[in-house]
Amino acid sequence: MAQTSWLRVFLFGFALGAQALTPSHYLSLSDVARLETFLGQHFTDLQSAYYSIVGLAKLGAGVADQDEACQFLKAQLDPTSVDSLFYAAVASQALAGCEIPLSNETRDILLAAVSEDSTVAQIHHAVGALTALGLPLASQEVVTALRVRINKEENVVAITLALQTAARLSQQAELGGFVEEIEDLTARLDDLGGLYLQFEEGLEATADFVVAAYGLSDHLDVEPPLKEEQVIQLVNSIFSKKSWDSMSEAFSVAGAAVALSSNRFHVPVVVRAEGPATVSHSKPTLQLLITNVLSQPMGSASVLVESATALATKSVVLSQTPFTLRDGLFELNFMSSQPASGYYQFTVAVTGDSRLVANHVELKVKVSTEVAITNMDLSIVDKDQSIGTKTSRVEFPSKSKDSFTADSHQNFAMAFQLVDVNTGVELTPHQTFVRLLNQKTGQEVVFVAEPDSKKLYKFELDMVERKSEFDSMSGTYSLHLMVGDATLENPILWNVADVILKFLDEEAPAVIQPKTLYIPKPEIQHLFREPEKKPPTVVSNAFTALILSPFLLLLILWMKLGANISNFSMSPSAVLFHIGHAAMLGLMYVYWTHLDMFQTLKYLAIIGSLTFLAGNRMLAQKAVKRMEKK
Amino acid sequence: MSNSVISVISRFLDEYKTTTPNKLKVVDAYLLYILLTGALQFLYCLLVGTFPFNSFLSGFISCVGSFILAVCLRIQINPTNKGEFQSVSPERAFADFLFAHTVLHLVVMNFIG
Repeated sequence: MAQTSWLRVFLFGFALGAQALTPSHYLSLSDVARLETFLGQHFTDLQSAYYSIVGLAKLGAGVADQDEACQFLKAQLDPTSVDSLFYAAVASQALAGCEIPLSNETRDILLAAVSEDSTVAQIHHAVGALTALGLPLASQEVVTALRVRINKEENVVAITLALQTAARLSQQAELGGFVEEIEDLTARLDDLGGLYLQFEEGLEATADFVVAAYGLSDHLDVEPPLKEEQVIQLVNSIFSKKSWDSMSEAFSVAGAAVALSSNRFHVPVVVRAEGPATVSHSKPTLQLLITNVLSQPMGSASVLVESATALATKSVVLSQTPFTLRDGLFELNFMSSQPASGYYQFTVAVTGDSRLVANHVELKVKVSTEVAITNMDLSIVDKDQSIGTKTSRVEFPSKSKDSFTADSHQNFAMAFQLVDVNTGVELTPHQTFVRLLNQKTGQEVVFVAEPDSKKLYKFELDMVERKSEFDSMSGTYSLHLMVGDATLENPILWNVADVILKFLDEEAPAVIQPKTLYIPKPEIQHLFREPEKKPPTVVSNAFTALILSPFLLLLILWMKLGANISNFSMSPSAVLFHIGHAAMLGLMYVYWTHLDMFQTLKYLAIIGSLTFLAGNRMLAQKAVKRMEKK
Repeated sequence: MSNSVISVISRFLDEYKTTTPNKLKVVDAYLLYILLTGALQFLYCLLVGTFPFNSFLSGFISCVGSFILAVCLRIQINPTNKGEFQSVSPERAFADFLFAHTVLHLVVMNFIG
């Protein structure tokens, strides 16, 4: 239900710009009963007694044994504690004929608690006790004290208690400032998905806020600054929890429920269908239950269908039609407007009380009907049309006495119509299946029968085309027609006839195994990457020799040119240079075979620097020699 | 047509033999050696296949790199180019040649696999 509400808000809230949020949670009759049972549980201390007695009184039920409760209050009362006095006093007020004994000290203690030094909770208890006991108090002093305390304790619970206290004060005091506090608190509510509005302090704080807001508004006769959408979101939050953890939570929820059903400004209305929202010829009336959040029926309202639109054709079937009230339910005979079967979107408006909130509701109503199969013709059509078509008509629900034989030269054909029993209109249900069941092997093949443009259903079985579905199993098949739809009250499974099918090239074995989907499959052997094929060693060796041959050529050319090492000076640097250079080349080979880059670089650094120094020296000497020669 | 080509080539060869100093001819012989080695490697790759590809690449690049470095050396020690390489003496060119070769061989050895 929450999903459809959310969807409705999106579609209609944007399209029409109107708030169309409706309560998705409320207290049904069983929820109210559960709440009363929970509150009525046996109490062992004064606070639980207060929640139980006062909570049940608010809901209109009473405590089981009033006298015993009164005795309990008197026994548990501690006249020196403000809290104790509050619980006892307010609870005793809810019980008939229960009086708490008073003394002067009581009054002094309570009046002393009303000061700027007490917490808001203490002030609330003191004021509550004073008003319940009928003792006089100075309202303006209370207002000043509350104002100071609100500024000091800025949390939600404190401000809510302050509002509840203010609702008990005389109207002569300046209570207007507290109405603004309601607005400030509303701003602190958390919006969850546009559907729920609650304080992060939890459900109890939210419910207490509702009680306080409406209590104060009723007391001052000033409309609370809550928008309709916010009221519904609060309703959704508070009544989403159907079992309560503690007496105080149950008490707060009960208080909120009562506040929302009977305050002077906003009363959320809950509209739902009695039973499934379906009408048919056997049950032609749509019945709606209109209640408040405590599931108490609102008989004084008048209910109207603003429009009823067929979802399939978008045509408006009803407009501005009222519901009639009968036995607490609002009824409308929808079938009298002779709607076609299908789904309809109803827009229902509940009027009659200016306080009603969320009184425009969207409902989806289903009109269902019964289907009848007419003009069922079975025929064997010859492919070359040389032999005439043999057609036989079958009447529902009997089975055809003839059996039909078809082989590869013939097609089996079926034609029928589906009509609405009551109106005679042709129907196109969602499911029209033709099922062929092999009587010997239990193999089943299902086809879909499709309607043509005149809504005449046709099914043709071409033996050759369809032989794979049948696994080419010849034999006697029983033919069933299955018709079903959400809007049909009588789905049909009809054994129409027996058909003998003859297939050519019967390949399947005599006994059909069920399709082997779930037996272990053949194991897959992992194929590791095959190393690439190397060329034969002979080729490699031949080419290696070939590659080395230019070196021989080089040596020959150098010898021919007369390159020699006659100029080789045996200076130490030259020798060192050549040794170093040879070592570097050797290092390269060792790198290829044994070492890695880091080790090589290390050795290269050592050998290289030596070679460099020696080479530098050697080349400098050579340059000097060259200069001298010039 | 072929006649003129042949005459051009023979004339070029004659001039080369006479005018090129010996040192350069030594370097040219080295260049020819490198060229042949590279060409043969490429021929092997074409004939037998690219396995193992990294080895082929490193060998081929070694030939190409060595060829380029030798050409640089030849340019730098050619006396007719002395005007363009005032600051680079033949010894310096040779030292550069050796250093560059060290780096080239390090890379080639790394890649040869």
